Amino acid sequence: MITIKNEYLPEKMKPIRFRMETDDTYTIVFSKRTMSHAGQFYMLSVDGVGESPISVASGFGNPLTFSIKAVGSVTKYIMDHRDSAIGLRGPYGNTWPWKGADHIVAIAGGIGIPPIKALIEDMESEGNLSDLTVLYGARSPKDIVYKNEIEAWKKELDFRITVDNGDPSWKGNVGVVTTLIPGVERFKNGSAFVIGPPIMMKFSVQELIKHGFSPENIYLSLERRMECGIGVCGHCNIGQWYVCESGPIFRYSDVMNEPEVFL
Amino acid sequence: MIYELTEEDMWRLLQKIAEEYDVFGSKEELGEVVFSKISSFSEVSEKKSSYSPKDFLIKRSENILEIPRAEKKAVIGVKSCDLRGFYLMDLQILNKDPFYTVRRQNTLFINFVCTEMCPGGFCTSFGGPVLDDYDIQVLHIGQSYFVEADPRYERYLAGFRPASDQDVFVKHSKEFNRKYGKIELNGIEKRMKWSSKLWTEFANYCISCGACNYSCPTCYCIDVYDDETGRKKEWDSCILEGFTKTAAGNVRPDLSDRLRQRFYHKFKYYKLSKGEYLCTGCNRCVDDCPVDIDIKEVITHDYDKE
Repeated sequence: MITIKNEYLPEKMKPIRFRMETDDTYTIVFSKRTMSHAGQFYMLSVDGVGESPISVASGFGNPLTFSIKAVGSVTKYIMDHRDSAIGLRGPYGNTWPWKGADHIVAIAGGIGIPPIKALIEDMESEGNLSDLTVLYGARSPKDIVYKNEIEAWKKELDFRITVDNGDPSWKGNVGVVTTLIPGVERFKNGSAFVIGPPIMMKFSVQELIKHGFSPENIYLSLERRMECGIGVCGHCNIGQWYVCESGPIFRYSDVMNEPEVFL
Repeated sequence: MIYELTEEDMWRLLQKIAEEYDVFGSKEELGEVVFSKISSFSEVSEKKSSYSPKDFLIKRSENILEIPRAEKKAVIGVKSCDLRGFYLMDLQILNKDPFYTVRRQNTLFINFVCTEMCPGGFCTSFGGPVLDDYDIQVLHIGQSYFVEADPRYERYLAGFRPASDQDVFVKHSKEFNRKYGKIELNGIEKRMKWSSKLWTEFANYCISCGACNYSCPTCYCIDVYDDETGRKKEWDSCILEGFTKTAAGNVRPDLSDRLRQRFYHKFKYYKLSKGEYLCTGCNRCVDDCPVDIDIKEVITHDYDKE
């Protein structure tokens, strides 16, 4: 009988910290150090429930962190059973290409923010935060993830935030995240990183191009159904690529002619 | 080197192989041609098996939290079209899926080259039925079995009689192609149209059963899911609605979107990413389709006229 290593086999561990970010979004932290670079993902699993691809929310070398919106069976189970062991395998996928870019404008919508937190931490560790502008759009003030971190980030980098719908206590910007794009036109020769719901990414790209960014310098992190993370299961293709293998981050000019790039 | 074996020699060859491998073959059981253990060469059927031998390497369903393991198996009677499917899948999943990989490395396939085109078959469009890549390839003409082996397996043929005609496979290939012709692919990867009415036409009668995927010797997609007995991977179908469903929505909500995906993957995406079409012309998807959708129509359709 001949045997080989099993890439599907997860390492199991319990989170050391659990924090609710919003009503349906939570952050878990493991004692294990992050061995991935910003933009990559892990497959998280619960025995008997299933497996889900989740982006890493921490910078290289920091405690491995994920911020997760409870929308499916696995992500809800983890929220409701905070003591259970979680299976982890990865990291998989490619990374935000921030090194060497003039200036980075990172645009995150909704639960697209965790890989941007990882980006901030990766860039911070190399002392590059002055080269980063973050535009973050949340649905409403109560849907903002990382409220504490955002206060600190605002002091360290150009961090701008807006909500689709304000409330009486909200003093900041109101409007979808694309309304912040005209304000970053002076960085049009830099790179833009876009991550969030498909409709938000679609309109962000249109607005970026309208304000002088070139399709070669726009990068999208695409979301697809993924069941293996290693180029086998076949669910995550966009055109000739598998998102888990060639992505999740794609240069917009490479995929702009694929009719299925946005949903 | 090509060898010329008699029927008795074939049995001797299989016995040599059986010293290292469990030997399986295509044989007739209850009116179907299936793969199961054989104990003599006379049991081997040269008819096309009812199903492709895909599940020697990708089980219909299995627990993926177990150790990927394989026994050494030899399978005789595989048709060239079905064998070619493995060489195509290798380009994407070999050395990635541990279960496929360990079995692929420990399974010896002995393929039979067809002497007649099967009904509906179009293997000639994809270089068949004589293959360039094989473990051990057999051409049965009259009383003779012409056999050639990849260098890894040449040792099994030592001692048999070298064929006087070393061009027998080349000649057979030419004769077969002359006799049956081929459907010209004609740059199908560039001809297909996203907005073609073919996809909606197929969607009008497709019943989303997935038989085309399950019967296909090149379809490797799997569903990964948990149940009370563990984490499973199971043959999946890109024709089913849930295939691309996510929390953010479904990139292919309509059946026509999913049918188009199946053909784009086979005739465009794979060609672009791997340099090969993901089809062997076996016609199994047509044979097994309950509503007679014919993949050949995707190739022959005049997209320019639309």
